Amino acid sequence: MTATLQKKICMLGGFSVGKTSLVKRYVQSVFSETYLTTVGVKIDKKTVDLSDRIVNLILWDLAGEDDISSLRMSYLRGSAGYVLVADGTRPSTLEVALSLRQRVEADLGPLPFVLLLNKNDLREQWAIRDAELEDFRRNGWWVESTSARTGEGVEDAFKALAGRVAH
Amino acid sequence: MSASAADTLEWLVRPFSGDPGIDRQALAGLLVELARNVEPQFGAGPSGVRPIDPRLEQLRTLLLGREIEVLSRLSEVVEDPEQLAGAVGRVLPTAIALASSDARLGQVLAPALEKATQSSIRSDPGTLVNILYPLIVPAIRKSIGETIDETFQSFNESLKHSLTWRGLRWRWEAWRTGTSFAEVVLKHTLVYQVEHVFLIHRHTGLLISHVAAENAAGQDPQLVSSMLIAIQDFVRDSFSGAEHQGLDTVRLGELWLWSEPGPFATLVAVIRGNPPEGLHEQLRSVLSRIHEERPHALESFDGDSSSFADVEAHLSECAALGQRAPRSAERGFPWLVALVGLILLALAGLGGFRWWQNERAWEHEQQLRQAEQRLWDGYVARLRAQPGIVITEAGRRDDKFLVAGLRDPLAADPQLLLDQEGVDPARVVSRWQPYQGLDPVFMLKRLQASLDPPPTVTLAVEGDHIVAQGSAPSTWIERARTAGRMLPAGGPMLDLTGVRDVNEGAIGKLSKAIRSHEIHFNFNDSLPAPGQDAVLDQLAKELNDLASLASTMSVSARVTLTGHSDDAGNGTFNLSLSSARAETVRALLKKRGADPDLLTVRGAGPLEPLEAASSEAARSANRRVSFKVGIEEQR
Repeated sequence: MTATLQKKICMLGGFSVGKTSLVKRYVQSVFSETYLTTVGVKIDKKTVDLSDRIVNLILWDLAGEDDISSLRMSYLRGSAGYVLVADGTRPSTLEVALSLRQRVEADLGPLPFVLLLNKNDLREQWAIRDAELEDFRRNGWWVESTSARTGEGVEDAFKALAGRVAH
Repeated sequence: MSASAADTLEWLVRPFSGDPGIDRQALAGLLVELARNVEPQFGAGPSGVRPIDPRLEQLRTLLLGREIEVLSRLSEVVEDPEQLAGAVGRVLPTAIALASSDARLGQVLAPALEKATQSSIRSDPGTLVNILYPLIVPAIRKSIGETIDETFQSFNESLKHSLTWRGLRWRWEAWRTGTSFAEVVLKHTLVYQVEHVFLIHRHTGLLISHVAAENAAGQDPQLVSSMLIAIQDFVRDSFSGAEHQGLDTVRLGELWLWSEPGPFATLVAVIRGNPPEGLHEQLRSVLSRIHEERPHALESFDGDSSSFADVEAHLSECAALGQRAPRSAERGFPWLVALVGLILLALAGLGGFRWWQNERAWEHEQQLRQAEQRLWDGYVARLRAQPGIVITEAGRRDDKFLVAGLRDPLAADPQLLLDQEGVDPARVVSRWQPYQGLDPVFMLKRLQASLDPPPTVTLAVEGDHIVAQGSAPSTWIERARTAGRMLPAGGPMLDLTGVRDVNEGAIGKLSKAIRSHEIHFNFNDSLPAPGQDAVLDQLAKELNDLASLASTMSVSARVTLTGHSDDAGNGTFNLSLSSARAETVRALLKKRGADPDLLTVRGAGPLEPLEAASSEAARSANRRVSFKVGIEEQR
């Protein structure tokens, strides 16, 4: 079985939600992080082994911006799906993530995505109610709380997204 | 008849497959009616048919029913634009095909087509680009080909006159292989190697296919291709480029990135070296071939590149492109290399010689400079050692030597010293301020100049004194003593203790002897009394001795002969008598060999008596000539 399937995935999230560090340990990376601040995008690869095939997720990590209007939409073009990242200890970042999703949907139409609430290792500072997440899940969203520090949930999230974009 | 008539009409009643639309029963009835009208006894049935109205109408319907139906259908089609459009649409291709031979069709259609094209471009330029791409690319290819040919030609022209050895060799190669000279030149000068070829889906930035040349290093091609597209987007966004524009050339040292955009996929070649412009054309050609073969697969590419395995062959074609550095001929002696080597050696030798010469010249100059400096240092040292010269400044300034200071006029002449030390006077600027030094040597010189000592006196420096030695007349000694007292304090003193008064030596004795003589006279007589010849002889001899002694002592001696008379008689007479007596003695002495210039005479009359008494003895003693000797410095 050869890994012939590639999918372009965008990583989106507000400022310092930890999306870059979230994937750091789990991806194949050749470019320096300075690309994010210079070109505004850094590209990594995550290989996911689905039972029937291997999917290479080409991750476009877009520079974290709270100001949605400054997002380079041209980088989103051709995406098969996207990863929304928010900081579970800062509810405002969830709002940013939701408005990012709206922006993407307006431009690219509905696409598979996963919503990751990062920093779940900081349980005592957690500020998102579980009920809210349940609401999202009822809408059919794939929501996962993750930790860049412990790695919890990251692999699952990529696997779920790969499954969604590959079929 | 009826049977036959029924038979005759039988075909009418029989259903006829080819004409189903006619009500044959009704038509048959109608025909029977018609027949009855013609032959009333024909058949039985209802009463006759009225010649006009419903039946005729019915007949019309029967006869033309199908046509009427067709016509109504046609009018329905013609009147409903949608149906008419459909109908025309069905025949339009054939109609146009048939009418295409008519020139008017083109004229009629042209404006509409132009408008249609314009509006299509306005709404979505991409469509037209996609349509025209297969047309445009060969057109561009042709145009580029022409341009390249032109370039070759101009290249040819420019090189035509460059009759270098290499040029001649290439010209020979071009003639031999039958290719253009410029192509040969390019072949030899443009050395390159295509290392990577990426075929990248433009919309997603995903890699469709990648081929690398042997030994070519590189990162994960999937990541690289996405990043390349991201950077293209970045540049386009940052500098407001148009949608179809992008970076087409990126250079990194000797590495080139050439990007050739197609409608759905971009071909990126990584080239090492110095690629010829014509390579663009080759890459474009491969890209357009890929597009021609797989337009739909490219357009709908969703990340599954397994179906593009055959594209690799095309890319490999690109990756195989390259121009290796030509190897020098293996056969025969490499004359050119040897010649170049020799020339280089000669040049190196010449350069070396020049360098050596320069070095020598420089060394020589340095030596000269050092020698000159040594001479100068010697001169300055000698000047410093000179009494009466005080150097306040000495050194080199603007290629000249400068010396400044104080100089006693009696000190050595610096100009003279320059010659002695061998320093070129033209290179020297001297500035001297005069002053008087207290150096004993100069004091000595000054004293010698002012005192003008007689030859019998020597002045010399002894310690911090100037010592005079020898003998001198007392007048000089007196003058020297005065000068010695005038000497500035702190300087050397003049020591005159070593100078004897000349009057005290042999000359003094002689003077004394001369002074002791007297020549006596008888009363009223100007001739000496008899018996005094011996005294005169003695005097003459002593005078001669004095003259010679004075001469050797460089003094002038003077002997004064004073005539005297007694006090008897007239005073005036006595005065002339006394003068006469002195003159007589001088004549007598002259007669005896004395130098008359040595002698002066005077008459004293009775005024300087030897004895003041008036006795005869005193008067006799007073009648005489006496002698006085004066020794003086020579003038």
